[in-house]
Amino acid sequence: MLARLDRISDFVGRCVAWLTLLMVVNTVFVIVGRDLFGFGRIWMQELTTWMHAAVFLLGAAYTLRHDEHVRVDVFYGRLSHVRKAWVDLIGTLVLLAPVCIVILLQSWDYVFGPRGSWASVETSSQAGGLPFPAYPLLKSFMLLMPALLLLQGAVNAARAWSTIRNKDAAT
Amino acid sequence: MTFAALGLFLAAIVVLMTGFPVAFALAGTALLFAFGGIALGVFDATFLTSMPNRLFGIMNNDTLVAVPLFVFMGITLERARIAESLLDSLSKLFGQRSGGLGIAVLIVGMLLAASTGIVGATVVTMGLLSLPTMIKRGYSPAVATGTICASGTLGQIIPPSIVLVLLGDVLSSAYQQAQLAQGNFSPKTVSVGDLFAGALLPGLALVGLYLIWLLFVAWRDPAAMPPPAPSDSKARVSAGEILRALLAPLLLIGAVLGAILSGKATPTEAAGVGAAGALILAMLRGALTLETLRDIMQRTTRVTSMVFMILIGASVFALVFRGYDGDVVVHDMLTQLPGGVVGAFIVVMLIMFVLGFVLDFIEITFVVVPIVGPVLLAMGLDPIWLGVMIAINLQTSFLTPPFGFALFYLRGVAPDSIRTTDIYRGVMPFIAIQLLMLGILAAFPALATWLPGVIYGS
Repeated sequence: MLARLDRISDFVGRCVAWLTLLMVVNTVFVIVGRDLFGFGRIWMQELTTWMHAAVFLLGAAYTLRHDEHVRVDVFYGRLSHVRKAWVDLIGTLVLLAPVCIVILLQSWDYVFGPRGSWASVETSSQAGGLPFPAYPLLKSFMLLMPALLLLQGAVNAARAWSTIRNKDAAT
Repeated sequence: MTFAALGLFLAAIVVLMTGFPVAFALAGTALLFAFGGIALGVFDATFLTSMPNRLFGIMNNDTLVAVPLFVFMGITLERARIAESLLDSLSKLFGQRSGGLGIAVLIVGMLLAASTGIVGATVVTMGLLSLPTMIKRGYSPAVATGTICASGTLGQIIPPSIVLVLLGDVLSSAYQQAQLAQGNFSPKTVSVGDLFAGALLPGLALVGLYLIWLLFVAWRDPAAMPPPAPSDSKARVSAGEILRALLAPLLLIGAVLGAILSGKATPTEAAGVGAAGALILAMLRGALTLETLRDIMQRTTRVTSMVFMILIGASVFALVFRGYDGDVVVHDMLTQLPGGVVGAFIVVMLIMFVLGFVLDFIEITFVVVPIVGPVLLAMGLDPIWLGVMIAINLQTSFLTPPFGFALFYLRGVAPDSIRTTDIYRGVMPFIAIQLLMLGILAAFPALATWLPGVIYGS
């Protein structure tokens, strides 16, 4: 069950990872187009930024799954498995979960509200920028990010709990 | 409210020490303080409503798009084993003389600047790559480990390093804020390119000083840095082989840096071209399979996500810190210090130095610089000079026993035969060089500000 939920983070992460390559390609395209052919489109420049934001928003849970969100490991590195599990369990419940829930609640109207991004058919602030629905879609990722993090956080908390309980069972 | 703001800062440090991921520790602690404040009626809940706007500001920041592209470039170069072959050919080039291998390590550290910007990563890489060879050659453990720690942290302050991109962006908004606060509504700007240009000469000066020190050690005590045994036939190579190994990465890094410094490309564009160049380089070396490409993309995604989640966490922290008037508290404290701007500057540098024992460059850039930057800049400090001083100060902190990050990481990959005291002894001369460099920059700020002025005419 937990492994299956892990796979959601992994799947999303591996998909958005391709965007990093597309960012590189698109950046080169924009420069070559502009410098060699005098061809420039605002939306192509905006596309790199768009992909960049999508990468770090949708990659957040995937990064959490691989435990690559940097920790201050001066002390953590020396803790036992069980103590580490306690840090992860309490941290997930007291720090990670509230952060995700607040971001979700605060951003909901911003994206889906009556005056939100979708309802106002938001497009780029620049003429010739990315067309609808690029921006509302990107802003929807502001909700998907905390939602995916909550899911992965729940998986991590469950794992931490079973580590703690197994230790109790062993002694 | 003074106490709430300071309490939040201290609480965040304590929570960070538990080892829970930095991004969520920062934001989570801040939100708990905000909830408490709202319940007690001392915190205005409307502060939190600006969160989506802040978040979108981070998503839409054009300057920071350079970060994933530089990360992509750095990881690709790593996967193409550029560092190994660089170290290999450089040590063959200089390695015949005593001290040669140490100098090779120093130069590779300098060129690895486009790394992920995490102190640990470069020090570990350098340690794994060069420490075994140095010990096998009979280098004194202190000299070997000192050289690796110093060279491994060097990449941070030499452009095009990622932390300079982040620092440049943060300083740029701090500078705007400082000028707006003084009633200047057409503020001067400072860019990432400015900071790159400003850090170039001090960075190279540091390399020069390190080099002089290594040459001095090799001359005074050749047994500490011996040349290879004459029977070691592997150590001879043709000039062509050296040229091939060196030329491509040097051209790539030179082109990226040149494009930015000449103003022909923005850091983002240069990073994109650099990443594409690194891919081509990897392909030419036969190191690019689909599997490698996947690994490069996925690691880029994770590093990028890690960096930007910290930025998001730090901006939530800053929001609540401001809500408790933390910025006013810091402003009052810094402006009331004896010694005016010099006193304030020295206090900030000392605080950053101490924070450098527990926090990495990225966290300090995102959490501390936005708080103290506007105050110091409003007091009249030059933003580029300040940025370079911060960078060298933090690098020194990472090297300083017993808490320096670099020492921990090297300890982790060093064999047990090397005593921790060897590492401590080894970094001492380099710390002295760092302090000397800070002194030189304080006495001659032009070392940092001259080149950006020439290039960008600012």
